[in-house]
Amino acid sequence: MTRLLSILGRAYVIAIFGFIFLPMLIILVISFSADSYLSFPPSGWSLKWYSTVLGNATFMAGLKNSAIIALIVAVLSLLLGLPAAYALVRMEFPGRTLIRNLILAPLVLPAMMLGLGLLMVFTPAGLVATYPGLVLAHLVMTLPFSVRILQTTLSNLGTDLEEAAMTLGARPLQTFMQITLPRLMPGVIASSSIAAILSFDEIVLSLFIVGPRLQTLPVAIYRYVDERTDPMVAVLAVLLIAISLAIVLVVERSVGFAKAFGR
Amino acid sequence: MTLRPSPLADTAPPHIRIDRLTFDYGGARPAVDALSFDIAKGEFIGLLGPSGCGKSTTLRMFAGLLAPTSGQIMIGGQDIVSRPPWERNLGLVFQSYALFPHMTVEQNVAFGLRLRKVSKEDQRARVAEALRAVRLESYGSRWPSELSGGQQQRVAIARAIVIEPEILLLDEPLSNLDARLRDEMRFEIRDIQTRTGITTLFVTHDQQEALTMCDRIAVMNAGRLEQIGTPTDVYDRAATPFVANFIGRANNLASRLSLVDGQPVLTCDGQTLPQPLPADVPENSATGNSVAAMVRPHAIRLRPPAPDQISGTVIRRVFVGSMIEIEIRLDGGQTLIAELRPNSPDAALAHLDARVTVDWLPSDMRLFAS
Repeated sequence: MTRLLSILGRAYVIAIFGFIFLPMLIILVISFSADSYLSFPPSGWSLKWYSTVLGNATFMAGLKNSAIIALIVAVLSLLLGLPAAYALVRMEFPGRTLIRNLILAPLVLPAMMLGLGLLMVFTPAGLVATYPGLVLAHLVMTLPFSVRILQTTLSNLGTDLEEAAMTLGARPLQTFMQITLPRLMPGVIASSSIAAILSFDEIVLSLFIVGPRLQTLPVAIYRYVDERTDPMVAVLAVLLIAISLAIVLVVERSVGFAKAFGR
Repeated sequence: MTLRPSPLADTAPPHIRIDRLTFDYGGARPAVDALSFDIAKGEFIGLLGPSGCGKSTTLRMFAGLLAPTSGQIMIGGQDIVSRPPWERNLGLVFQSYALFPHMTVEQNVAFGLRLRKVSKEDQRARVAEALRAVRLESYGSRWPSELSGGQQQRVAIARAIVIEPEILLLDEPLSNLDARLRDEMRFEIRDIQTRTGITTLFVTHDQQEALTMCDRIAVMNAGRLEQIGTPTDVYDRAATPFVANFIGRANNLASRLSLVDGQPVLTCDGQTLPQPLPADVPENSATGNSVAAMVRPHAIRLRPPAPDQISGTVIRRVFVGSMIEIEIRLDGGQTLIAELRPNSPDAALAHLDARVTVDWLPSDMRLFAS
């Protein structure tokens, strides 16, 4: 009986994984297609769609924009998130618990609503279709994650090491740079990487804020798929997955996801 | 807040003086309540008390990690209370050791010297000397994670003493070690302290540690200082019932003081306690007042039953190896624990259900007004 249950359990897990990963596998296969339309299985194999993508100016411009924005968002998420996390963990101030509990609230709001709100603020401010505009919009999504991850790392750290450093003669800034920061590295890497992934894959907010002058890769792909479907889409999807996966591996290698997110 | 007058002598300033130190976070009572005592240079002082008595709070105020509500901590005549921790030059050893895991043993020990801008050569020499003092001279290039608990403990001590602190603060340093290592480290720590001569404040809840290691013990309870004195003082001449019961085992007999032919006599439920009474009968204990008589279990002697003398029945007898522990129910209903040497005449009297008279030397009894 137990044996039967364990076999059923395993089959169920495999089915779930298949449900999640089979579409990606099909996309990977199609990306090597020689056909000029989406079909499975492909009638022939080639790398021509990869070279088409690399030669497409719109996509390459989008890739460049997305990469630049993701990088800036990752850095700013850390620089803004770290002091916030530090204050929430280490300092006493009225409303601390409230802010701690509300920090993930932006993620609960429908992205459409956020996008509309941002558009109404950004249009008069001249931020639409600009780097600062997109960076600010993405920060709305990434900051809660960054603060949360750094908060967890900080509270796991405890205060003994910092107190030991101070009694040995380290001033607060020296203590932070020489003791706290090195011990925070796992959280720093995890939060920056996740901010980069979120920004790189972001589409809903971006759709509101991009314009002909500046668009991100996900938006370019979305617009292309709207008009045509050929194996080029599969290639782009594979590229997006590969880049995200690379970042995930960095995090997993340096800290492990479960640890980065904490409770 | 009204300041009570300082109970300390108004003579030349001692090495360290704690004067009416108070920490009040707004609870029912202050966590530390007007704590005052002096520490001489090179002394090893134990701060002993149950958890929540305020000893750790006191240590953290010393280190500058907590700001006292009022009172002073004077080192060499100067109040250090307003100085931040990094300007106090104190060595603090944490219960968790708090070694920096991203630094080698050498880098850990050198940390305080590096901040003091000591030259590279001097750093190397002093780190080597400190590691030699804790017998870890060949462990400099190891990482803290590669060391045993006892070794990490010694690195933490080396890191604290290398800066030549005014005072070494030890926060329950032995509580994370296993029993055998704890006994070893007890002597090790005392030995290091004797050799370096650094004034040391040692926080512990373990009376055994305090008795074996300290020059003097400050016993704290509920934020207040109960008694400060040598281990013999606090064990043999406990100033308060709390000290008597916290340090070592104690029997407490509720007794009554009366005058017979002009001589003070103590009776317990109508039976007379061993005579004569100790010289220091509590001052305010007028005749007829109730008095708590404290006797250590090992001071109790047994006699064949005698009328009028304090007597009872043996209700429990346990052999614990080095001694026999018995419990006696006195005729008045109170109970006594006695520790007897096996094969002694006393032990021969103490079989189960036997009637015995109990006796002790007057000097082994402490009286407290109750």
